[in-house]
Amino acid sequence: MTDITTSLPDAQPERVRLPPSRGSRKTRMAAWLFVAPAFIAYAAFVLAPLCMSIYYSLLRWDGIGEAQFYGLSNYVTVLTDSDLLQIIGNAFQLVLYFTLIPVLLGLAVAAAIRSHMAGRFGTITRTVLFLPQVIPLVAAGIAWSWMFASTGLVNQTLKAIGLSSWARGWLGDFVWALPAVGIIGAWVLLGLCTMLLVTGITKIDPSLYEAARLDGARPWHEFRYITLPGLRQEIGVCITVTVIAALASFDIVYISTQGGPGITTTVPGLEIYRLAFAHRQVGLASALAIVLMVLVLISIAPVQWFTRDKK
Amino acid sequence: MSGLTLRSVRKNYGDVPVIKGVDLDIAHGEFVVFVGPSGCGKSTLLRMIAGLEDITSGEVSIGDRVVNEIEPRDRGVAMVFQSYALYPHMSVYDNVGFGLKLAGTPKAVRDAKIRDAAKVLQMEHLLDRRPAQLSGGQRQRVAIGRAIVREPDVFLFDEPLSNLDAALRGDMRMELARLHNDLGATMIYVTHDQIEAMTLADKIVVLDGGVVQQVGSPLELYNNPANLFVAGFIGSPKMNLLELTSRPEGNVSSAELSAGLALNRGALAGTSLTLGLRPHDLRVAPNGPLNGQVRLVERLGNETILRVSLADTTEITAVLPGQDEFAIGQTVAFDFKPSSALVFDENGRRLPSPG
Ligand SMILES: Nc1ncnc2c1ncn2[C@@H]1O[C@H](COP(=O)(O)OP(=O)(O)OP(=O)(O)O)[C@@H](O)[C@H]1O
Ligand SMILES: [Mg+2]
Repeated sequence: MTDITTSLPDAQPERVRLPPSRGSRKTRMAAWLFVAPAFIAYAAFVLAPLCMSIYYSLLRWDGIGEAQFYGLSNYVTVLTDSDLLQIIGNAFQLVLYFTLIPVLLGLAVAAAIRSHMAGRFGTITRTVLFLPQVIPLVAAGIAWSWMFASTGLVNQTLKAIGLSSWARGWLGDFVWALPAVGIIGAWVLLGLCTMLLVTGITKIDPSLYEAARLDGARPWHEFRYITLPGLRQEIGVCITVTVIAALASFDIVYISTQGGPGITTTVPGLEIYRLAFAHRQVGLASALAIVLMVLVLISIAPVQWFTRDKK
Repeated sequence: MSGLTLRSVRKNYGDVPVIKGVDLDIAHGEFVVFVGPSGCGKSTLLRMIAGLEDITSGEVSIGDRVVNEIEPRDRGVAMVFQSYALYPHMSVYDNVGFGLKLAGTPKAVRDAKIRDAAKVLQMEHLLDRRPAQLSGGQRQRVAIGRAIVREPDVFLFDEPLSNLDAALRGDMRMELARLHNDLGATMIYVTHDQIEAMTLADKIVVLDGGVVQQVGSPLELYNNPANLFVAGFIGSPKMNLLELTSRPEGNVSSAELSAGLALNRGALAGTSLTLGLRPHDLRVAPNGPLNGQVRLVERLGNETILRVSLADTTEITAVLPGQDEFAIGQTVAFDFKPSSALVFDENGRRLPSPG
C-alpha cells in the first residue's frame, strides 16, 4: 500500500509522512508468526471440522462404506421431520430453564448481597452458589437422578409436606422430564451466573446508589436504573453462555434421562451423537449439527448486539 | 426557612467513634464549609445530614423537623458527590431529571425545570450527551444541575472540585459562589482546600478527630484561632509555631522573645508556651529576635517566601513583600509586632494576645 501512494504522479502535493518503517515486511512477517500458532490450531480444530461437517451434511454416508452425494436432502429432513423438529424444540424449551432461572436468580442474589459484599455472608453465598460449577457434570447429573427418582429426595420432601399426590418419577414422566432436566441445568449454571453478576455489581460505583436514594429511588428503581444497566455486559455473557449450554446440551441429558421417555428430553446434541454413531447416518447427523450451529448463532446475535456498549 | 441544627451528634463505626459529639447551628441561606485534615469525619458528618449514614446518637434537624428517622429523599437535601455519581447510562437530560421523574413530576414541568437548570449552568448544549462524553468540569455542572432541579432546602457538597485542575477549580468556585447568591439556599460544603474554604464560606467549621475545633467566619478563624490546631490549619503558608520555654539559649532566646512579648510576668512565667507567628507578619529587621540562615527562597513576583532555619534548627517561613534578593545560606533576622503574635498554653488553648 505504501508503495502505491508514494509513486503517485507529482500533481499530488508531497505530504509529510513518517519514514517507511525499516523492517515493515519483516514486522509483518513477525506479526504473522505470532498469530500463526493460534491460527493453525483454530484452523485444525475448528475450521477444518466445520468444513468437513458441511461436506458430510451433503452426503448420504454410513461412516464406513461408500458415500453418496445427497444434495440438500439431509437439510430437508432436518427441517421437516416431526421428531427432529420436536428435538430442536426441546432444546429451545431448555433455554427457558438454563437461561432464565440462573440469570434471574443470579441478579436477585447479586442485588441482595451488594450491600453485604464485604461481609462473610457474601463470601459464603458466593462459594455455595459457585460449588455446582466445581462438581463434575457427570457427578451432578447422577446426584440429581437420585434426587428425582421415585423414592428420591424430591418425592420424599413432597410427601413430608403432604403433597404426595405430586410425587412421581420425575425423569420418567412425559410432561415433567424436560423441566426436571432444565432444573438440573439451571442448578449447574446458577453458580457461573451468580459469580459473574456479583463480580459485576461490585464494579458499579456505590455513590450511584446513594445519589439515587437522594433522588428518591426505591429499591426497585435502583435495580432498574442502576444495577440492570450497569450489569448489561455481564448479563450478556450469562445469556450467551447459558443459551449455548441449553441449545448444545448433551451431557446432562445423556446422564439423567438419555433422551427419554420417548424423545421428550432428546436434544439435538444427543440426537447427533445417536444418528452418527448408532444409526450410522453421518450425513443427517452433520446436517443437524450445522442447523444447530446456525440456530445458536441466530439466538446469540441479538444478545451480542443488545449488550454492546452503544456509543 | 430551612436552617439546620445538629445536637450532640455522634457516630460510631462498631466501637470506633468517628464523630464525637457535634453541635452546630446553621442559619437559612448560609454557606458553611467543613474543613479538616483527611479522616477527621467531614464526609461522615455530611452523609449523616444527607441520611446516607445513620446517626448513632444525637439529633439532626432540618428546618424545624428532626430528620434522624426520615429517608434521604424526604429530607429536602441534595448532594453533589466527589465522584459526581452521574448515572452512566442516562443522557445528561435524564440525569438531571431523574429525581423529578421518580417524584412523578409532569413531563412539561420537568422539561422546563431541566432546561432552566441547564441554562443557569450554561450546559444546554450538553443535554443529549452521556456522562462519558463530558469533561470533568462539565460532569460537575451536571451533578450540580441534578441537585438544583430538586429545589432542595439544603445543598450538600462533598469535595466537589477536588477532581478538577487548578484553573477550572477557580472558575467553578466562582460559579458556586454565584449560584449561592442566586438561589439563596443553605449550602454545606466539605473541602480540605483552604482557599475554597476561605473564599466561599460565610462560616467555616474546623473539624479534627471528629470534634469541632472552632466555628466562625473565615477572618475570625484567621485572626482569632481558638487553639493551636485551628491556627496551624487556617492560613497559607502555615503559621509558624515556636515553643518558648523548651528553647535553649541561642540566637533565638526565649528570654529575648518573651521580654518583647511581656510574657515573663505573672503566672505564665516558666510554663511552656507556643508562639504563633503568621509568615506574613514577619519583617526583616537587622537586630530582630528571630534570626537564622536562609534555606529556601521562592519568588512569586509580588512576594518572596523564605524558609529560614533558626539556630536550634526549627524552620520558620516568612513571606516578604516585593522582590528583595536573598541568597541561600545568608543570615537574616526578623521581628514582628507583638500584637500580631498569638500565644497558646501548653494544652494548645489560645491565650490573650500579648503586647
Ligand atoms: N464504613 C466505615 N467503617 C469504619 N470506619 C469508617 C467508615 N467510613 C469512614 N470511616 C472512618 O471514619 C473516619 C472519618 O471518615 P471520613 O470519610 O468522614 O473522613 P473525611 O474527613 O471525609 O476525610 P477525607 O478528607 O479524606 O475525605 C475515618 O477515620 C475513617 O477511617
Ligand atoms: Mg471525605
